[in-house]
Amino acid sequence: MLEYAFSDIISGYFEFPTENARRLLPGHLEPIELHHGASVLSIGVFDIKESPVGPYRSVSLSVLVVPLVKGTGGETMPNSAFYPFLCGTNRPEPRALAIEHLHLPHWTEDVQIALEREARSVRSSVSVGGESILDLTITDYQWSEAHHLYQCFSKDSTGAYLAGIRTVGEFSDHQEETGQLRLHDHPFNAGLAIPDVYEVPLQESWLRAGTQAFESLVQLQPV
Amino acid sequence: MEAAQKNEVKSTFTDYDYSNFYYGAGDDPLNVLPAFMRWFEDALPNGYHIYSEPLATAPTTRVVVRSNKTGQLREMLNLASYNYLGISYRDEVKQAAIAAVEKYGLGASGSPILSGTFDVHEELAEAVAQFKGKEAAILFPTGYSANVGFISAIMRSGDNIVLDQYSHASIVDGAILAKSKTTFFRHNNALDLERKLSGMKGKKLVVVEGVYSMDGDICALPEILDVAKRHGARILIDEAHSTFLFGPNGRGVAEHFGLDKEVDFHLGTFSKSLGGQGGFVCGSRDLITYVAGFGRSRFFSCNLAPMIASGLLAGIKIVEAEPELRAKLWSNVAYLRRRFAEEGVDIGKSNSQVMPVHVNNDAKVFAVASKIQERGVFLQPVTYPAVPKHKSRLRISISAAHTTADLEEAMKVIAGVLREEGISKQ
Repeated sequence: MLEYAFSDIISGYFEFPTENARRLLPGHLEPIELHHGASVLSIGVFDIKESPVGPYRSVSLSVLVVPLVKGTGGETMPNSAFYPFLCGTNRPEPRALAIEHLHLPHWTEDVQIALEREARSVRSSVSVGGESILDLTITDYQWSEAHHLYQCFSKDSTGAYLAGIRTVGEFSDHQEETGQLRLHDHPFNAGLAIPDVYEVPLQESWLRAGTQAFESLVQLQPV
Repeated sequence: MEAAQKNEVKSTFTDYDYSNFYYGAGDDPLNVLPAFMRWFEDALPNGYHIYSEPLATAPTTRVVVRSNKTGQLREMLNLASYNYLGISYRDEVKQAAIAAVEKYGLGASGSPILSGTFDVHEELAEAVAQFKGKEAAILFPTGYSANVGFISAIMRSGDNIVLDQYSHASIVDGAILAKSKTTFFRHNNALDLERKLSGMKGKKLVVVEGVYSMDGDICALPEILDVAKRHGARILIDEAHSTFLFGPNGRGVAEHFGLDKEVDFHLGTFSKSLGGQGGFVCGSRDLITYVAGFGRSRFFSCNLAPMIASGLLAGIKIVEAEPELRAKLWSNVAYLRRRFAEEGVDIGKSNSQVMPVHVNNDAKVFAVASKIQERGVFLQPVTYPAVPKHKSRLRISISAAHTTADLEEAMKVIAGVLREEGISKQ
């Protein structure tokens, strides 16, 4: 089981066209639709203070997908599920670990991730070699302790996988539409039709001072 | 690191909702049931029992409701039914329906294009068209089928349908059935509509609602119509919650803004202001003739029961003869809005007879609604995902039949519970 301790994880959820989501997803995954024709792009920035490879920062672009509900007795219901279609890290070691253990697709160079914390917001700027990729601002709402289960799907040339992520930490989420996203014209964002991605998040979440534990990876049936 | 020990998942029923159980794993469509039922059996006694509680009396201002939790019958002040003009239980309406049962029996026994059209259906369609000031009208068995049937009757694959993001499910489902490209614009935001329509090629239909049913705010029709016309889009207004109420003659929000003739398609229901059943579309005779042939939700449904059509005809006559009903409704709305403001109760942007009482606490809203019901006021909570996170609310409907004493009683119970729960501002 991979375990991480984080200072902050900020996530913005943005409406974008389902046809774009389907281009990014493998055939066995179904995007969550906010309403007909509109799926959800999740952009997460992670400030990890402790991990098997030390502290690091990462960014992930994901599509929210339908969770896998097995219907077995005693099953813990996931709070949500996502398919990261591109991640970036600021050091090679965490990148190698995530590729090897979680089969997550990564930008091959180090990315720079700046975080500016204000009392009620965090602004993150992500770049590569001085070229901007994205700027994400997330605001807070009310804080409470959260114990969540997320499902993380992945797929590469070796197969399709699912990892449960048990997350504990101080948690705030809301739909006040006070955050902001700017996606820059950069190859990192090549999978997205940028003009069609809403710049205001439909939902913003912020986890702080917590831990994430990745359950053993499950290989899904060939699809 | 102690993550493994600490990372036990803890949840309550409000952490999940129906959207979590849309799909199950594997090839059997029933695989999702065990997980769904585990959640639902927790949700039911802890909050969801407040939905679908059966009424044992007519939906007047006082109703007898059987509790899903205790099985007890309770008399409550009714703030949950539509029936905005208090018409469905008027003697004239009931007698018309009873006479129709004697004459025609229970139902229409056929599709409207085959054997299911009766003389009362034709009279009702004519009466609606006349009331709305249009050439013709066509009836549908429900408001839902009116949107689904009309939108899919006139729009095709490759066309564009542009919807307000708060559109009713029947409008969205109509767009899906039409197989058109569907785009949403920000609620009541003409600037965002402009952005969405810019550069859009081909046939375009913009759909708005007269009154939005979760927030009770009315459509920003002048601005939206201006944008739609400049981009060559046709516009449909769903006046489910506004026909028979708004405008000098009660025709709806389009008439209220003096834009009745500029709007291309007018849709409405009989289930809200009249407390009956069914939907309709008004327009030119050519349009209605076309929709009669292409509106599949009508074509392939049994027609409205003749007794309903007869009762609705009597209801429309009351609306025409008694404009004071609308005046009383708006007086009631103004009274309750003022009293809520005085008591620090937040009803958001509502400017209609539909008022959302904002609780803004998704975990607490069920307990708040239950407490209000225990004190004798019948209403229901609305929570995520029907409304945004932390925007949970109690949805109430005002009727012309409510007395000032009814409204004062309701206000005191609601404001009192919100104060006790630390929700209202005072």
